[in-house]
Amino acid sequence: MTLSVFRAIHTAVSPHSLIFRRSRASFCCSVNRPSSSSSAVSATPVSTVRIPLFLREATGTATISELHAWRKWAQTLVSSVGSKFEDADNGPGPELLCREIRWMLEDVVEANLDVVNRLSDETAFGKDGDVVRLRAGLDELYCLWEERIEKRRPFQYLVGCDHWRDLVVCVQEGVLIPRPETEMIVDMVEEVVSRDKRLAEGIWADLGTGSGALGIGIARILRNGGKVVATDISEVAISVASFNVNRYGLQDKIELRQGSWFEPLEDVKGKLSGLVSNPPYIPSMNIAGLQAEVGQHEPRLALDGGKDGLDYLLHLCENSALALESGGFFAFETNGGSQSKFIADVMTNRSNFSFRDVKIVADLSGIQRFVTGFRQ
Amino acid sequence: MSTATILRSATLISSKLFTSAATKRSILFQTRLPLRAAALSVGSSSDDGGGGRNYLMLSDEQLMGQCEMDTFKASGPGGQHRNKRESAVRLKHIPTGVIAQATEDRSQHKNRASALARMRTMLALKVRNELDLESYTPPLELLQILPRKSTIREADVGPQIGPNNPKFALGMQALLDLMVAVNGSVSDAAKLLGLSTGALSRLILSDDSLRREVNELRESKGMRPLK
Repeated sequence: MTLSVFRAIHTAVSPHSLIFRRSRASFCCSVNRPSSSSSAVSATPVSTVRIPLFLREATGTATISELHAWRKWAQTLVSSVGSKFEDADNGPGPELLCREIRWMLEDVVEANLDVVNRLSDETAFGKDGDVVRLRAGLDELYCLWEERIEKRRPFQYLVGCDHWRDLVVCVQEGVLIPRPETEMIVDMVEEVVSRDKRLAEGIWADLGTGSGALGIGIARILRNGGKVVATDISEVAISVASFNVNRYGLQDKIELRQGSWFEPLEDVKGKLSGLVSNPPYIPSMNIAGLQAEVGQHEPRLALDGGKDGLDYLLHLCENSALALESGGFFAFETNGGSQSKFIADVMTNRSNFSFRDVKIVADLSGIQRFVTGFRQ
Repeated sequence: MSTATILRSATLISSKLFTSAATKRSILFQTRLPLRAAALSVGSSSDDGGGGRNYLMLSDEQLMGQCEMDTFKASGPGGQHRNKRESAVRLKHIPTGVIAQATEDRSQHKNRASALARMRTMLALKVRNELDLESYTPPLELLQILPRKSTIREADVGPQIGPNNPKFALGMQALLDLMVAVNGSVSDAAKLLGLSTGALSRLILSDDSLRREVNELRESKGMRPLK
């Protein structure tokens, strides 16, 4: 493959897997392997959490000129891609990829942003010999970026985190990367609890919590007494969510329960003040055509919503009335368009559901993304 | 930041997304024609009397309430289909058409905050208040960005506010209002502010966007740019 012209390093092994501690042992690279190396997405051992780059100890070092060389190399790869990804599957373009290079340096270099800024300035290179401390070895950096370009491994999996609202949420293969659209659900909940203090002190459920982002976002706006129960059927998701909950010190406000949708919620049935979910909603037939970062790397379990993408949304609809207390709020993310309309119709018109103020709310791109409402 | 207002403005835009052509037009419009707040009919009582200055006096929530917000484009179905790309945020200030955007952060939430901060600077730079030179006395926010050696600056004005302080935008707006009123003459403005011409030049040069705006004004009047 042409990329090996730039640097003969190829991905060989899986990501570093370890439980809540840092290990420097596992580089993902070895030099001069044949380029037909195995996929980067090997099965992550269950119950283990990979420490994101930005949380690791800075045990590596590099000179500014070495980092600069890495950056130039990374940008060369981006130039060689051009608009190929965009044209193929509406993937990332050069501008975004270059921004990712900068973000990666932000996470890896243990120094203030001046160093990262200096790296992008071609002219201001007074002290190329300066040594900076790194949270990953230089070889690993080369390796990671090659995975980004050759395998389309999502940037968030490379660095092990996603910046979501004001949170930095750890993610890894096996867990859906929280989407910017979903940030809005927290805004909606914040508005609802600011108007009704009772809801702010109640129990909220986040079903299919994945990395725990949504549950954490909500737990941080609830008042004293307010709690979140977050469920997920995936063991990896529960491990990662638990790591994130601990990192934000919310162990007392968020309870994680492994299980399918409402199954772990029997004891709070009819007592929930709120219910939020970003369930899998992509129609099965669309999975194959997804952007490579999504379709080839993110868990199908978190994406595939069955034939019309409605399987889990309907399951949520059918059980919400029993799960929510009177006056309780729900917000579901959907595939947009006809799907949100369908879900809104179901929630409004099925007489035994008894919901009021059912609304479709658009995301920032104008897509009819969310369905919200209240139990009567 | 009030989520209520964010949501309101977010839903507002759902039906009318900007086209890139429209955006280009309004950016051209901004750079060529300084907006005169007095000439804008806004139809909101909060804007009566004070014009553009009032926009900068608004709280974040109130200012956000005057803005439409969208991400750059709805490229396909979004949501779970996409990795990234929609974290960029663009704000359009409805009363003036001024646009501010932020793309540099990984979080949409933070880009929204940056775009709003940038909107304040843009409004300060682009929206002019008319003033009467005959009866001119510099407003407090302008005195606050002046160096201490200004002869009209009383001790109770407090320490000098620099370009990194969010309050700088208000002072900058007042300074630009004055520069427009004196047709770009730094020496005339300096006299009114109790400063030497050199000291006012240094203040103008201390902020890139302020310098650019003053130089645009000076060039439009056939004067040499400040360096």
